[in-house]
Amino acid sequence: MSSESKNEEWGSKLGVILAVAGSAVGLGNFLRFPGQAAANGGGAFLIPYFCALFLLGIPIGWAEWTMGRYGGKKGLHGAPMIMGAIGKGRLARYLGVLGVLIPLGVSTYYVFIETWTFAYFLKYLSGGIGIVQGTSIAEQTAASGSFYAAITGSSGDGTLFTGDSLYTVISWVVVFAVNIFFVYRGLSKGIEKFVSFAMPIMAVCALIVLVRVLTLGTPDPAVPEQNVVNGLGYMWNPDFSALGNFKTWLAAASQIFFSLSVGFGVIINYSSYLKKKDDVALSALTANATNELFEVGFGGMITLTAAFVFLGLSGTTAAVATGSFGLGFNTLPVVFAQMGAFENIIGALWFFMLWLAAITSSLSMYQPAIAHLKEATNWSHRGATTVIAMIGTIGAVLTLWFTAGGAFWSTVDFWVGTYLIFVLAMVQIIYFAWVFGIDRGWRELHQGASIRVPNIFKFIMKWVAPAYLIIVFVGFTVQNFAASLQASWSSTGSRVAMLTIAGILAYLLVVTFFGEKRLRAAGVDIDDRTPAD
Amino acid sequence: MTTLGWIFMTTSLVLVWGGTFWCFKKVLTSPRAKEEDSEP
Repeated sequence: MSSESKNEEWGSKLGVILAVAGSAVGLGNFLRFPGQAAANGGGAFLIPYFCALFLLGIPIGWAEWTMGRYGGKKGLHGAPMIMGAIGKGRLARYLGVLGVLIPLGVSTYYVFIETWTFAYFLKYLSGGIGIVQGTSIAEQTAASGSFYAAITGSSGDGTLFTGDSLYTVISWVVVFAVNIFFVYRGLSKGIEKFVSFAMPIMAVCALIVLVRVLTLGTPDPAVPEQNVVNGLGYMWNPDFSALGNFKTWLAAASQIFFSLSVGFGVIINYSSYLKKKDDVALSALTANATNELFEVGFGGMITLTAAFVFLGLSGTTAAVATGSFGLGFNTLPVVFAQMGAFENIIGALWFFMLWLAAITSSLSMYQPAIAHLKEATNWSHRGATTVIAMIGTIGAVLTLWFTAGGAFWSTVDFWVGTYLIFVLAMVQIIYFAWVFGIDRGWRELHQGASIRVPNIFKFIMKWVAPAYLIIVFVGFTVQNFAASLQASWSSTGSRVAMLTIAGILAYLLVVTFFGEKRLRAAGVDIDDRTPAD
Repeated sequence: MTTLGWIFMTTSLVLVWGGTFWCFKKVLTSPRAKEEDSEP
């Protein structure tokens, strides 16, 4: 290990919790969650949602934190090497490559989406996105849609590099530079310091927007049914018939899964920088609780309530049908336009908050790849960061160019940001409970713990979580894998996306191969022949 | 909003706000373990 990596650790207990929570809290908390809840039984959705939280999200999170800290005890920080130690061999190590591929692959398009939030924020600061107040909702929606299409370049490949759309490319340069700046500064001076400010600011922004939404009352006396209480009812009134549908339970589990960032490769890396007896049980729980606060406490109260008050039942239902991005970037600007003098202030606050949510996530996506490269090559932090920044730039340029219909980024999102997350979580929990051993894992989890985890979770980690993930994995693979693969080869953008994923995977496998040789030669116990304390 | 809507909303909010406050209070009042670095 280089002396640089020896010195790399979290500055405080709270720092790592906020960093993990920042990684988890993203656009999905404010946009995806309310849409999913409204479409799947409203308040009743919270029953399968909390079941999934306690049966899947929290237990797998505990396993990841524990594995990461264990790897750190052996001086390992990259997901492949940590998984190799947990799984005692090469297969686990090469499966662990997913723990680097996922965050690095997702970063290629996530920073692009982060750029949208930043571009919207700047536009609201400088006078709005071109929606004319007082015109009809249809006209405002058209104006909002036109701005959204220009910012995202969805009309065709290469359109972002022409005319007004260049604004997106310039915004991307700024956003990417901010990301790389903080990643260059390292773990405690960069990421930890940034999230220590960003998370409280994000909470304050969310609180201000929440208060504004809850005090909207009945803005149009001509339509008294469009009021805040009915808006909350749209989101929270339970429809118990939805609980009889398997789709509702699957949607709730998926929401929990993706929201908490389990199986993403970040937690295992971040927790490897903890000290030997730093608590992981309470830290993991606190990071999860923070994520839930932003998701249920803010996301569940703001987005659909505001939309309902101004757009009514049919308008809100139509907005939910457009999906997370349609709701956040197309519909909400129309909602803000109904707020009169508050339009630009609330618009700027909202998109600044979304940008903070996005950047605290994107910052975490480079660190696993940097740690992996440093570990494999013994390069300096700056050297490894430069290489990863170059890979990120190549991925981003492809994302910025192949924008037609969002084919490039949605393909990467599906395979890397959705499918492989399930695969990695399944691999991790199986290796933790069955190869590392649940009893040993349980002891490891409680080393230095500030809380005692109820014994029932031992059973859940060994049986329930793996069984659930295996069922979903097998079910999806049998039913959809071939068709999804075929669809991912249907356009130029999606084909380039698949080749990009393959290219990053090949790079990571080569780095892992040489890293394995280097660490063995250096006498590092990468197969965990001698258990750490 | 129906009575059940209020119940679901209030229960969920109490759970997430209460849970978060409890966790942070516990984190801030528990001492960090004093020991050697994470490297072996």
